[in-house]
Parts: sequence; structure tokens; C-alpha cells
Amino acid sequence: MSMREAARAPVIGRPRRLAVDLAACADLLGTLLKYLGLAALFPAAVALWYREPVWPFLAAGAITSGVGLGLERLAPGEAQRVGVREGFLVVSVTWLAAAGFGALPYLFAGGEQLGRPLDAYFEAMSGFTTTGASVVTDLGELSRSMAMWRQFTQWLGGMGIIVLALAVLPRLRVGGRQLLEAELPGPEIAQLSERIRSTARRLWVLYGALTAALVLALAVLGWTGVDARMSPYEAVAHAFSTMPTGGFSTQPRSIEAFSPATQWVIALFMVLAGANFALLYRGLVRRHGRAFLRDEEFRLYVLLLALAAGVVAAEVWAYGLAEGEAAVRHGVFQAVTIVTTTGFASIDFGAWPAVALLSLFALMFLGGSAGSTGGSIKVVRHLLLGKILRRELDQTVSPEVVMPIRLNGVPVDERTLRAVAAFVLLYVGIWAAGGAVIAIDTAVTGAGLGPLGALAASASALGNIGPAFGVAGPMGSFEPLGDVSTLTMIGLMWAGRLEIIPVAVLVTRHYWRL
Amino acid sequence: MIGAGQVGSTVVDALHAEHEVTVLDTEPARLTALGYRYDVRTFEGDGTSRRDLAAAGIASADLVIACTSRDEVNLVAGMFARRDAGGATTVIRTSNVEYVELWRAGQLDVDFVVCSELETAHAISRIIGVPAARQTDVFAEGQVQIVEFDVEEGASREIVGVPLRDAPVPRDSKVAAIIRGQETTLPGGSDVILPGDRIVVIGSPRAAQAWSALLAPGGAAVRNVVVFGAGRVGSAIARALLEQGIAVRLIEADRERARRAAEAFPKARVYNATGIDPEFLERERIGHSQAAIFAMRDDAKNQYAAALAKVYGVPFTIAVAHEAASVLAFEQAGIDVAVNPRAVTAEEIVRFAHDPRTKQVAMLEGNRYEVLDVTTRPTSRYVGTKFRDMPVHGALIGAIVRNGSAIFPHGDDVLQAGDRVIIFTEAQNAPWVIEAL
Repeated sequence: MSMREAARAPVIGRPRRLAVDLAACADLLGTLLKYLGLAALFPAAVALWYREPVWPFLAAGAITSGVGLGLERLAPGEAQRVGVREGFLVVSVTWLAAAGFGALPYLFAGGEQLGRPLDAYFEAMSGFTTTGASVVTDLGELSRSMAMWRQFTQWLGGMGIIVLALAVLPRLRVGGRQLLEAELPGPEIAQLSERIRSTARRLWVLYGALTAALVLALAVLGWTGVDARMSPYEAVAHAFSTMPTGGFSTQPRSIEAFSPATQWVIALFMVLAGANFALLYRGLVRRHGRAFLRDEEFRLYVLLLALAAGVVAAEVWAYGLAEGEAAVRHGVFQAVTIVTTTGFASIDFGAWPAVALLSLFALMFLGGSAGSTGGSIKVVRHLLLGKILRRELDQTVSPEVVMPIRLNGVPVDERTLRAVAAFVLLYVGIWAAGGAVIAIDTAVTGAGLGPLGALAASASALGNIGPAFGVAGPMGSFEPLGDVSTLTMIGLMWAGRLEIIPVAVLVTRHYWRL
Repeated sequence: MIGAGQVGSTVVDALHAEHEVTVLDTEPARLTALGYRYDVRTFEGDGTSRRDLAAAGIASADLVIACTSRDEVNLVAGMFARRDAGGATTVIRTSNVEYVELWRAGQLDVDFVVCSELETAHAISRIIGVPAARQTDVFAEGQVQIVEFDVEEGASREIVGVPLRDAPVPRDSKVAAIIRGQETTLPGGSDVILPGDRIVVIGSPRAAQAWSALLAPGGAAVRNVVVFGAGRVGSAIARALLEQGIAVRLIEADRERARRAAEAFPKARVYNATGIDPEFLERERIGHSQAAIFAMRDDAKNQYAAALAKVYGVPFTIAVAHEAASVLAFEQAGIDVAVNPRAVTAEEIVRFAHDPRTKQVAMLEGNRYEVLDVTTRPTSRYVGTKFRDMPVHGALIGAIVRNGSAIFPHGDDVLQAGDRVIIFTEAQNAPWVIEAL
């Protein structure tokens, strides 16, 4: 500062009441959208290959990148002011905008099924959040490129759009930790590398490699004739849906359309996708196999999967839905698909008897591991909540006893524990509220979902699982739902994917006001 | 000698007769008092000043002991002693266990490090851990114990008077020696332990307790202990006891310190309480503990808490006495054992000053036996040999430490290069054993 400036009287300026730097958010959002538009090139190439219309994709990409450029122009060079506060807003709005981008090709292509803006937005949000709930009633009618776009949105959303941006963009002009933590919560993720950028890169490389491995495995099943329907196109489409624990399929009968071998392979990769990627990195890439055994969350995750598979298989067998290997396979597959929040189906569980449905319903609240592509409450939170409850009981007997809660032997800080309890409370509250809205709306519009179906739809959307029961089961569609329910589900999917907190802080006064 | 405090004067008391002692301290009053009592040279100066150390004549010293109450002073003095005193042996006192670990790892260039907290903890854990033992020494971070027992008439008939090969010798332990009058044997399977013998056992802490239970059947092994105070001394005691597999309850009045202790000791149960609240003592059944240790900062509090614990039924109380006078006061007040950390530290320094070899070895039965802690060289001719095939040369391999954990070998196990071998041997054989490995 020069002498003359320093000598001037201080400029106090107008009172500012807004605590969030909107210009910084706009700039960063603009950059993210600018590059996100490029993602449309992939379905465009698929469309070219199958001689289908290319323009819906190119137009959607151009509009998205154009809006991005415009936002950048609006507030150039502000992005370095993105702090923790701005991080929440950028992440939340990015996901809304990404779904908007994803909806454009559906809109442009028109057609009965996805021509309505709300339906197109629902489908895109369901894709990016890796939910896998669909309003499409006849999948066979979608063009191949459009079906592939549907699958591809899930793959983009799986590891996180912003994590992807951090990994591949030359520079984002921000540190990125605040964004990564808002988009991909989990204590271990940030420790994978010293630099956020190389952390993001490693996660995406591992994610890409696992996807490639699955494509190869499925393609081999197709080539060797084990599964006649598994073409390379289907292999890619289902890998794009499995690794992000999405759940969209190109087949109206979901994974039931494929052979048992394919179902087993997909189940295995769903289990991997629901594990902590930082742990997978250590275990698979750095070959510390014992890392899996030592990790408390992973052990509980596998145990829960085994228990769930056993219970579901027993029910399948007991109700005469399948026998022998098929019963075991359907038990394992349905348990895995719900716990990892994928939402595939190897059998139409939407029409199962109530008892079997209830057990699937309960599984919807488990979720994958922290740092996985799965959603819902997640295993580590259940683990910590269990420890909190046990300590509470111990301290009821002996109030003076001091018991730090440990995860993998390391004491967990009390604030993190409060955040876990708060998350679970918010989660259950939002699920119940969403379920009530959908139940009332379906009762009014006569969509025939029923109260249990409405609650399941709410849990399924918030947990990014996908199918509910009854008409909205895995082979069905959410098309009969009214607009209020559709909007509610969009909100639930969005909040669920961002693990509620980044969205929830946006409705507090403290967030916005100084 | 750098430091003329309680530790310093105790050391001077033990050494002034056989050594020419120069004592350096910053407090003239302490030096004067010391000078009146003992025939030593005193020098007023700062242990961290190289000039003061030189003026005190450090260059001609054979042994430099830095035992002020401040770690930094002792470390700096030790460093200067290494540079300026040529071949002198240096000993430093510390209150931080980390420096002891550093020194053990060879990262600290001094000959001996004494930690008051650690010595106190070991003294107390020896009292608690093996009630029947005469003397215990620990190796490999407490994983291996060498214990001397006097075999009394009341010892279990299962072990006494039975050839060793038929006796129920506790797992992970060996009888290293049987001393009968003037005669000592390194026993084989046909030897017999008789009442009146003194025996040396090498084994795991658990095995040592099992031996204690066999040899003194009345006094059951202490399995649960309550420690009052989770400061440095209390924490060190808790750690030492936990390492022996004893259940520990820690009571600490300071919330933050209680939290840290709870994080450091997953196996202990930590309470944030004063320890003199009758309602608390009653509800948590503190009186059901077999022993209570009082390691709070204030001697008066220790004494009151110990008396209260006795009222609530704790049979055995051990209290840390920070002031020398408290030792007598505690014993007068009915506390079973009083331990003064400074006295324990001074004893350890004196033990070392008398015979610097104790750094490597423990001496048993006067100087007739040594316990060596040797790392096997890759070139040793016994690498790859089964223990059963090794020659008998009046030496016994009690334990080996491989990858940081102790193994109590059987005949079929094989010696590997890099194993730390803990050997009980006759002193005359020690050089041969060291060379062979």
C-alpha cells in the first residue's frame, strides 16, 4: 500500500449482511459447469456409432459449458475466496446444476417417457446421485445412446463430480479440501495422500480401473457364451451402473435378464463398490491385504452383508420364491444390492410377501462404507452410534467413567461423534417427513403406492438406492407418482447424496447472515 | 555431578567415600549444605554452560552424572560431557519416558538414562506383580522377566520335590538356576527343587505370576489394582501393570488428564473423580481391588486417600512419597509400602555408578551370574541351529525377541540372525557366549 493511500481516511462502506461470498461461488460453479459440459461428448460418440441423433447431446453440452463460461465471466478470478462456507453452497448447487445438465438430452430428444421437464430432471438427478429410481416405463423404447447417457450420469456421479474435477482439471484455483470433505465425507479419505489433488486422482484411477475390470469380466462372459445377452454395450452400461452403486439398467427386468454367472460377478463388484475406496486403495494397489482385516468398518460391513444375505436367502427359500443355488443367489444379490444402495434386482422383490419386504426395508438404512460410492447412513455411522449407545449405558451406571470411543484403535473426537448422532437424527427425520409427503400425495392422486411403499420410496430416494416396492418396485417405475412426490424424491436424492449436512446448513440463518 | 537436589545428594551420600566428587549447582545454599555434610568439592554454576562445566573440571572426570530435575539441563550437560570429558561415562536423569526409549534405540549418545517415573513404576510393579519374588529384572520392554524366588516350606507340593521334567512348570518359562547353599546348578530334567532353595526363573510376566502362585500358594496373584492419579508417575505405573496383564482402574480428578489417560490406555478403566468421595468409592467397589496405588502429586492427599481406601477395604496400599520425610510418615500411618521416586532414581544411578556393565546385563547372586541381552550376528555359527542341538556351556537361552515380541523357545525352534537373545550364564562364560553369537 502506498503512502498516499494509507494516509486516506478509512472507507467504511455499506453494511454487509451476507456471510457467503456469492461471487466466489459463481466463479467456481462456472468453471465446474464449463468442464462438465464436455461429458456430453461420450454419449454423442455412442450416438454417432449407432447412427442415432447426436444433436441432443451436443446441444446439452454446449448449453452447460456456455452457462459455465457466462458464470465465470460474471465474477472472474474470485474462486480463490471459496472457503468452508462457500464450499457447502458450491457443492450443493453443483449437484442441482449437474442434474439440470443431465436432463437436457432427455428433454431435447422429447418422447413420451422423459419429455416432461420434471420427469427428465428426476431421471437425471436419479442418475447423478446414483439412486437408480426411474420414471421410464418402457426401457426398450429408449435409443441406445440415450440409455447409455442414463448409465453414464451414474458413473460420473459415483465418485463425486467435484472429486472428478479436482482430479482431472489443471487447476481449480482453490485448495479443494473444503469441497472434497463436503462431497465425500469420511474420516479416512483425506489421509490417502498429502495433496488433495493426488487423493482425488487416486480415487478416480482406482474407480476407473475397477470399472474397466468389470467391463472386461462381463465382456468375457458374453464372448465365451456363458451369457448370450451380455454384449460389449451391455457390459459397459452395467459397469457404469455397478461401480457407482447406481442401479439403472438397460433391461426392463434389470439383472434378472442375465445369466447366474453375470449376477454373481455383479454382486461381487457391488460389494467392492460399497467398500471404502481409501481402504481398497491400500489393500489392492499397495497390497496391504491385512488392511481389510484390521479395518473395523470393513469387518462389520462384511458381517452385515453375510447376515443380510443369509436372512434374505432363507426368506426366498421359505416362501418358495426360488430353490437351491437360485435361492442363495437371489438372497445374496438382493441383500448386496440394497445394502450397497445399488438397486439392481435379480428377481422382482417388489412383489414379495410383506415379511420379506420388511427385511429389505430395514436393510435400506445400512448403506455402504464411508468413502464408498454407496449411500444411506453408512456402516461406520452405525458402528460409532452403537459405541456411543454402549458408552451411554456404561456411564449411566458409573457417571465418572471416562471412555473415549475408538475406531480402529484411534480415539474419535467428541465433535465427530456428535456429528454422527446429529446425522442419524436428521436422516431419520428427513426420511419420515419425505415418506409422509409421498404417502399423502399418493393417497390424494391415487398412485397406489400405499403407506409402506411411500415410506420405502422415501428411504430408497434418501439412501440413493432406487427401487421401492409395489408399482415402484425394481421392475416397475415411479411414473405413476404425482408431481409433489416426484419433487420430494428429487430433494431426497439430492440431500441423500450429499449426506444431508451440506444441504441442511443452507437452510440455517447462521449460514447466510453475519 | 550436576544437580544437588534430593537425587543429587542421595547419590553423593553413596559415592563420596570411594570417589572424588565435584557437585555443580546454581543454588549456593544447597551446595553449602552439601559441603558441610560430605567431603566433596562444590561449584556454583550452570549445567547448561560449557564454560561453567569446564571451570568445574569436567575434562578430567571419569563419570558425569546430570541429575537436576530439569530434562533440558541434563540433556545439554550430557551432550557437553560427551564432547569435553573424553572417555567419561555419562549418566542423565529424565522425567520423560521418550528419552529412555531413544536411548535404548541408540539414538541418545549417553551411557545411561534414568527416568524417575519409570523406575518408580518398575519398583511398584515389581512389588505388585510377583509378590513372592525376592528380586525381578525385566528385559525386552517388560516382555521377559527374570525372577529370583526363595522356596519356602509352604510351596506347592506339585512343583517341589518333583523332578523338573514331571513338574507342572508354567508355560513360557524355564528354571535357569537352582541355588542350594553354596552350590548352583543349571538344572536339567532330573533336577529337583527343594524347600530352602533359591531359584532363578526366566519367563513371561504371566509365567512369573504363575510361579509366584505355586511357590507362595496363600498369597494369590494380584489381578486387579486401582491407581489414584494419572499424572506422569501414575501413568507410568498403569502402563507397567497393564503390560503384566493386571486389570487397572485409574482415578484422576483432572478432566483433561483423565481423558488423555483414557485415550492412552484402552485396557484400563479411567474415572474422572477425586478418589476421596465416599459415595464414589462405595458405588464403584473400590474396596474390592486387591491393591491400591496412590500416585497423586500431593503427599498429604495420597496419605488421606490411602487411609480412606483402607477404610473401604483395600487390603494392600502403596503410596508415592515425593518428600523423603513422607516415607516414614506413610509407614507410620499404616500404608503398606511407601516409594520415594527420587530415592529410587538415586539408587539406580548408584547401582550404575558402581558397575557400568549393568547397562547391558543384570547381575544375579553377587556377580556369579549374568543375564546377557545379545543380538545374533548373521555370521554366528549357531544361526539356523535348533535349540535342542546347541551345546551346553553353563548358559541357558531364556528367551528370544524376534520382530519386537518375545518368544520362549522350545527344542525344535531355530535361531535366526537378528534375534535378540536373552541368556542366563555364569559370569566366566559370558565373553565366550557373546563371541559365539
